[in-house]
Amino acid sequence: MIKENAEVVVIGGGVIGVSLAYGMVKKGAKVILIDKVDNRLTASRGNFGLVWVQGKGKGMPRYVEWCIEATERWPEFAENLETETGFDLNYEKTGGLEICLGEEEHQERINFIEEMSQSSKSGHYDCEMISRKELQSMLPKIKLGKEVSGASFCYHDGCVNPLNLLKAMNSSFQQKGGIYRPEQTVENIECSSNEFKIETGTHSFNAEKLVIAGGLMTTKLAKMVGMEVPVIPERGQILVTERTSRVFNYPTGEIRQNFDGSFMLGSSHEAVDYDTETSYEVLQKIAKRAIRILPNLKNLQLIRSWAALRVLTPDQKPVYLESDQCPGAYAITSHSGVSLASIHSSVVVEWIIEKKIPRGFTDFHPERFNVQEAI
Amino acid sequence: MAAAITARAHGLSVLVLDEQPSAGGQIFRNIETLEATRNSEFIKLGKEYEFGSSLVRRFKKSGADYFSDRSVWQIDNNLQIHHVSTSASKSNSANSSHCQAKRLLLAVGAMERPMPLPGWTIPGVMPCTAADVLYKSSGFIPDGKVVLAGSGPLLLLIGCRLLDVGVHVSAFLDTSMNGALLKALPLLPNALRSHKYLTRGLSLLWKIRKAGIPFYSGIQNIEALGSSKLEKVRIRKSGKFFDVKADLLLLHNGVVPNVQITRNLGCEHRWYDVQRYWEPIVDDWGNTSVDHVSIAGDCGRVAGAAISEASGHLAALETVYQLGIISQTERDKLSRTHRIELAKHQHVRPFLDKLFQPSKKWLIPEDEKTLACRCEEVNVSEIRETVRMGIKDPDRLKSMTRCGMGYCQARMCGLTVSEIIAEENKVSPEEIGYFRVRSPIRPVTLGQVAEID
Amino acid sequence: MFKKQYESHESVSIIFEGKKLDVEKGLTVASALLVCGEVVFRSSVVSGQPRAPYCMMGVCFECLIEIDGIPNQRACMAPVREAMKIKRQIKP
Repeated sequence: MIKENAEVVVIGGGVIGVSLAYGMVKKGAKVILIDKVDNRLTASRGNFGLVWVQGKGKGMPRYVEWCIEATERWPEFAENLETETGFDLNYEKTGGLEICLGEEEHQERINFIEEMSQSSKSGHYDCEMISRKELQSMLPKIKLGKEVSGASFCYHDGCVNPLNLLKAMNSSFQQKGGIYRPEQTVENIECSSNEFKIETGTHSFNAEKLVIAGGLMTTKLAKMVGMEVPVIPERGQILVTERTSRVFNYPTGEIRQNFDGSFMLGSSHEAVDYDTETSYEVLQKIAKRAIRILPNLKNLQLIRSWAALRVLTPDQKPVYLESDQCPGAYAITSHSGVSLASIHSSVVVEWIIEKKIPRGFTDFHPERFNVQEAI
Repeated sequence: MAAAITARAHGLSVLVLDEQPSAGGQIFRNIETLEATRNSEFIKLGKEYEFGSSLVRRFKKSGADYFSDRSVWQIDNNLQIHHVSTSASKSNSANSSHCQAKRLLLAVGAMERPMPLPGWTIPGVMPCTAADVLYKSSGFIPDGKVVLAGSGPLLLLIGCRLLDVGVHVSAFLDTSMNGALLKALPLLPNALRSHKYLTRGLSLLWKIRKAGIPFYSGIQNIEALGSSKLEKVRIRKSGKFFDVKADLLLLHNGVVPNVQITRNLGCEHRWYDVQRYWEPIVDDWGNTSVDHVSIAGDCGRVAGAAISEASGHLAALETVYQLGIISQTERDKLSRTHRIELAKHQHVRPFLDKLFQPSKKWLIPEDEKTLACRCEEVNVSEIRETVRMGIKDPDRLKSMTRCGMGYCQARMCGLTVSEIIAEENKVSPEEIGYFRVRSPIRPVTLGQVAEID
Repeated sequence: MFKKQYESHESVSIIFEGKKLDVEKGLTVASALLVCGEVVFRSSVVSGQPRAPYCMMGVCFECLIEIDGIPNQRACMAPVREAMKIKRQIKP
């Protein structure tokens, strides 16, 4: 058994874990990042790379503000990472679209945006409906399908290459002295007065603080230190095409053209437990919808597809929790790890390291799910 | 073809989906046309080809439905098979079709082991079977100076064919492992039972040397050089460099099973260490670990035409039995002649596999600027650096380097990646594994996926 | 790189980069172009390096070329057809 010590052990090498670990080493903390290798747990490698506000946070205005603040921090966050590592994040903040097909979708979207704008505390929701004509003029290089009725546009939205993001944060973390321990499965966590002992099959880690950012493993891990954090998997499938000249310059939640010219198409929301297979029915459904939106896509070749499992809390909004039973242990989960990377690596790190509690943070406490206290 | 013939003989309805434009696979490529229009060349290819031709005739008469020019791109869990036209991609003339299978037999064959070396993406560098394809399908032969580099019986065979038609071979670069013959000797007694393979191999080598072609072994490095196409091959031997002018560099470092579809289906694979490749795990009848899916031929352990054919008959008999048409006893009885045929040819395989082991040196290029992934242009150096970040899993490596994301979906880089990650982590590639192979098995247009006109 | 050994019987006319080529019927686009001395089929999408057919059997996807307006077709798997329009895919 290899023994290692640190000030903070972070469990989970996905975007959330790595962004927290990265932020902490930047503050000078000694951090060990533990990562499991399980090809079903790939939310951080299997997402659309959106840095997004639109459509999130209905019913929790504090979360909408949180997302907006994250997107405002993103440009500097991206620039720092690029300077530190030399990797291109291909981050673009162009604003984002959600395209509607037909009148029913259009009306639903109108109502939704209206509701979100009204409930925005700061009045900064900055999302508006645009007509089909306006949309086509924003996309002069590609023809819209005839059913396209309009879209919603949000100024805060943007996108990034999520794979490069993960790689850059991990690389910078290690460069700054962070220790990365992959291939670990946590078997046991003991908490005593001022320290945590985390045991995997091969290692025993000792730390003053413990941060659990284990994605779908969070529920199990959090329980070990007296926290109830319910998360469930939801599958999404994505198609990726060959590269072509750049014609689609805004990201949407279901179509985006990557920096290299390939198109990514989604999305699906399937409750299939831990199954990360793709299915013909869903791939076909996605292809059909994409062609309805942009008919010229029909001659583009599909090169690959994948499926990954989102990490969803019951209301799909984040949990930021410190354990009452084992103070110094934290659990953090969100299905917007990419969008929130900028704020996780700064504000949330300050909460963990310097105990600076962000305003309204209790909104993110899981008691809102009415769960039983851990026994 | 053998499997289709046997399956049909027992009354099964059989559909054969073939990517190629005509029957014959790789070994008997274009054999019907060859026999009909270039008969003298056909005869030169030997008795094996005469046999191949008769096999094609029997296949065509068997009553199996044969769709050439069809590429399978998606296989559902229930064995619904989706396929499109291989050559036409305009969605209005090449819609995706599908058919429902009760059992699936994969006989997708083998491919050349990629032999990455610096400059291997320059026009004019090709695997030696590419020259063979051109010769068999069109009668074309290399023009200009040809350099042959690699090891293995196929390189010798193709080298001889080229010499026979008057091709100018400027050099033969032998990359086989030093002492390979000695290492293979312990397996010799078994091998002698099929000695004609052995003597044939040895005579090919002699023929090449007799032709007076510069023959180099103990080579440390090979680099292909040229601006828009190949101009010369730079060789390093005994610490010294020298260049050989070349218009075509033909490479060979062994033949490996094409596991793209077996991987896609989730079949279990094992690492065959002697020949350094992944093969699907099968029983004596070709059954994989996935229900109702079996394989035959060189898409499993690579063993050549005779063994492939016998395995095809056996896999078909198994299918016929599994579908309840014959009993286990009948299956076993009917399989006897094929088992004898298998045994006859299998004796020399361990010896040949050991003799022509790919040497480690040529599995991972020493020159780290060499592209491991041709499609996405990821070189060996970048892969090593990324692995050293703590990455052991091929899919993680893929997400960090784009290696394996291109059109060929890791067919050309998969083995190299397994080797590099294994070497960096000081473990066997068996422990590292391989990329996850997702649908589509080959590119299809979105229109074909959507099945619209 | 490659040459014919003998003259062919039937031919078809294809249009390569705007010019008419008479090629033997039954050839693949890759074989036809190679024997006419056309070596470079495309530029690599990453760096623009010149690329040409490699495996000739459909597994490497190097021989991608534009056929009848559709880009990225495997030339080694496409038989030539009368009046087929073929264009290289070269990055400017």
